[in-house]
Amino acid sequence: MIPPMYLASLGAILFCIGLMGVFTSKNGIIVLMCIEIMLNAVNLNFVAGALHYGDVTGWVYTGIAIAIAAAEVAVGLAIFLAVFSSRETIDLDEVTLLKH
Amino acid sequence: MRFLPIIGIFLLYPFLRIFLGEYMTGTPFTALDSAFLIPLLPIAVFPVIAIVGQLSNGEGWWRDQFKEGGIIALCTLAISLSLTIWLAIEFFTKGASFHEPLEWGLFNWFTFDTIGQNAAGDWVHIQVSNSIGVGIWIDNVSMMLLFVASFLCFLICWFSIGYMNTDPVNKDRNHRFYAEFVLFTAGMLGMVLADSFLWLFIFWEIMGLCSYLLIGFYYERPSAAYAAKKAFLTTRVGDIFLLIGLLMMYDIYGSLEFAVIFADPSMGGSVDVSMLRWSLVMLFIGAVGKSAQFPLHVWLPDAMEGPTPVSALIHAATMVNAGLYLVARFVPFFDVTSHGHGVEGLSDVAVLIAWIGGITAFMAALIAFVQNDIKKVLAYSTMSQLAYIFTGLGVALWFYNHGEHHAAVIAFGASMFHLFNHAMAKGMLFMASGSVIHEMHHAHHHLAHGDGEDGDDSHDEGGHDDFDPQDMRNMGGLAGKMPITATAMAIGSASIIGLPLIGGFWSKEGIVAETWNAAAIHGGTELLIPAFLILLTAGMTGFYMTRMWMMTFAGKPKTEFADHVEEQTHWIPTPLVTLSVITLVGGFVLAILGATYWLGEAKALGTLVHEHGIVLAILETLVHAFLPTDPFLFMVTWITITISLIVGPAMAMRIHGGKLKDGDRAPQLISWIPLLSSKFGRANVDELANSGLADALHRRLYFDEIYEWAIARTVIPLSQALTWFDTKVIDGAIKGIESGSQKISRDVRKATSGSASDYILVAVIGMFSILILLWGVI
Repeated sequence: MIPPMYLASLGAILFCIGLMGVFTSKNGIIVLMCIEIMLNAVNLNFVAGALHYGDVTGWVYTGIAIAIAAAEVAVGLAIFLAVFSSRETIDLDEVTLLKH
Repeated sequence: MRFLPIIGIFLLYPFLRIFLGEYMTGTPFTALDSAFLIPLLPIAVFPVIAIVGQLSNGEGWWRDQFKEGGIIALCTLAISLSLTIWLAIEFFTKGASFHEPLEWGLFNWFTFDTIGQNAAGDWVHIQVSNSIGVGIWIDNVSMMLLFVASFLCFLICWFSIGYMNTDPVNKDRNHRFYAEFVLFTAGMLGMVLADSFLWLFIFWEIMGLCSYLLIGFYYERPSAAYAAKKAFLTTRVGDIFLLIGLLMMYDIYGSLEFAVIFADPSMGGSVDVSMLRWSLVMLFIGAVGKSAQFPLHVWLPDAMEGPTPVSALIHAATMVNAGLYLVARFVPFFDVTSHGHGVEGLSDVAVLIAWIGGITAFMAALIAFVQNDIKKVLAYSTMSQLAYIFTGLGVALWFYNHGEHHAAVIAFGASMFHLFNHAMAKGMLFMASGSVIHEMHHAHHHLAHGDGEDGDDSHDEGGHDDFDPQDMRNMGGLAGKMPITATAMAIGSASIIGLPLIGGFWSKEGIVAETWNAAAIHGGTELLIPAFLILLTAGMTGFYMTRMWMMTFAGKPKTEFADHVEEQTHWIPTPLVTLSVITLVGGFVLAILGATYWLGEAKALGTLVHEHGIVLAILETLVHAFLPTDPFLFMVTWITITISLIVGPAMAMRIHGGKLKDGDRAPQLISWIPLLSSKFGRANVDELANSGLADALHRRLYFDEIYEWAIARTVIPLSQALTWFDTKVIDGAIKGIESGSQKISRDVRKATSGSASDYILVAVIGMFSILILLWGVI
């Protein structure tokens, strides 16, 4: 059996990779993918905790998180579609409406 | 053909009896068991007419077969009427009396606990499981009113089908009228049947709402909208007092049910008399508002803005009787004779009631002198006659409180009998005036627009020129052209005036005589002024009713339109004829049968006839009415008859009378009236008509101006101050927060980049800072 410590570490590393991606990438789709990586990193943490404590709750949360993530991706993609159709770009540096 | 469904409906009760009684349950089914249907059916039909009417508005079958809901309403009211009649039959055969009312608890509406302070000052449950029930209470008075309400509503609905559906102004919106009409009927019938003050109040308010809706039926007319608002707000003043009175009543007795309160209003002598007195005064103010008495009378004349059937229904026949019914329910509180458990020391409330009645009777009759609108004359006449009944009730309560049982019974019975006679006569008078207005309007329409087909030309909406079909100065000489209406109007006026042997005579004599009896013989000097006022009003009634009839029906036509009037609308004459017969004969028959005693102390109807035979009974009633044994009452009786029958009408005939146009013939029964009126010569009253008094009367004694001034000085400054507070302080604070935060966010926005990743970066940095801080703390 894989020790929970390894799983938690992998989750932390994946989370940092995802966070880094969100900060640096300009393409909205890639940002969305990075967010997915972060979400799954958190899911790994849940699994690790469930394994460690022998408790089923963590697995249940993982299932819920995956379902919500799927819905969230659908919403995110829809937003980018709408942004693209109005601005012809999904470059996040050019979408700066909040400043104006 | 069109009578068939109505006749069928009268068989509903035997069907219920057989089907529900013997077939379903095996026990006899009584009319009392179905009494709850009387108000419930109209309530159930109200949404049906409103919704179906809205959906199928303008379709042929709805307009022609169903008369835009009129037929549905008429059938519903026919069911209510038939159930009422079956109930009356059962009531008479069972022989229930005032002290043993038929009473029937249906079920408990809801139950609740009461919290109060005990002797030590702690808050505890003091009474557990109070319940407010639903039930039916029927005694002689409510039986009479139930019949009056359901019968008149039925006839007026019948009349409405003729009046409303042939007027192009009402095209495609009569379903609203009929829906509100049946809801109003439900309110009135429910109020009469209620077995507690609470239910009485609830149905009372339903009526108030329907009155508002129906007065404002022509809501596009500013005057109608204003009148509706005025009626609603004025009665609201009374209703607030009524509610306060009911709360006080609940505080005293711990219940609002008639059965509980009337069992022993004195609570074995421990009742708080001053609290009870104030509670009764509050209830009386509610009745004053509803029955349009001084000083809350201002809404009734304006309420004539509604369609004429509404005026007939609400403002003459039924709703204004609600206040009288409430006051009639005061009897057990006042009855200190051996028959009751009343409370002593309440006679000042009775005096107040009699005074308000006397003042209103006189004032309304005075204002009616100068009104030229045919409906306004009737409106003021209604106020005046209702005031008679209030005076009679006040005197009855005064007698009850002084232990004079016999006199009290006569005064009370006469008042209730007058209510019956007045409702029948006034309902008919309003319908007759509606007939006149309708045909005047029709004639004017016909002449002014050539041979325009009525019903379809849409340019005939509203007042297209300043011709007023309700103004009596445009009428004259209609007796030859509208024989049925003229006869009905003459009989109704005679009943209101108190022509001997006709309807209103019996009851009005009783009221006047008993008031004088109390004031002069039994030492009630505080009642002298009301007694004088109503005696004077008897003569004034003779004047203004005769004046109205003369201006409308006698003399030469005053406009060319009046010359072309014809009586031609279907559905209108039937109710007029029915009520004419009842007014002409019914009063006499009921007087012989002893209606006064039946209403007053539940003596069985027809006792006199049963004991002495019919001839002696008639003779005895006549002697009792015309030749009272007491010389003083004899004098009062004959003064009343003289001034109301000779002085008043003769003066009116001198001013407004005259022969009909050559070639016109009035119907046999009344053809002598125009002829007689031309014998009195002419009096010129222009000088009087232009005097300051006449002007004051035209302005209705400045009541509207005074109220408007008072409101302008009190309510409007207060509401302006509150508006200022609301807009400046409350709204100001909220808007300040809003604009302040907008400004701050605008400033912050200048410092940002607008790129999403920067925001996330800042959020993450913030999160980590918090984590680090927390780590340090923990």
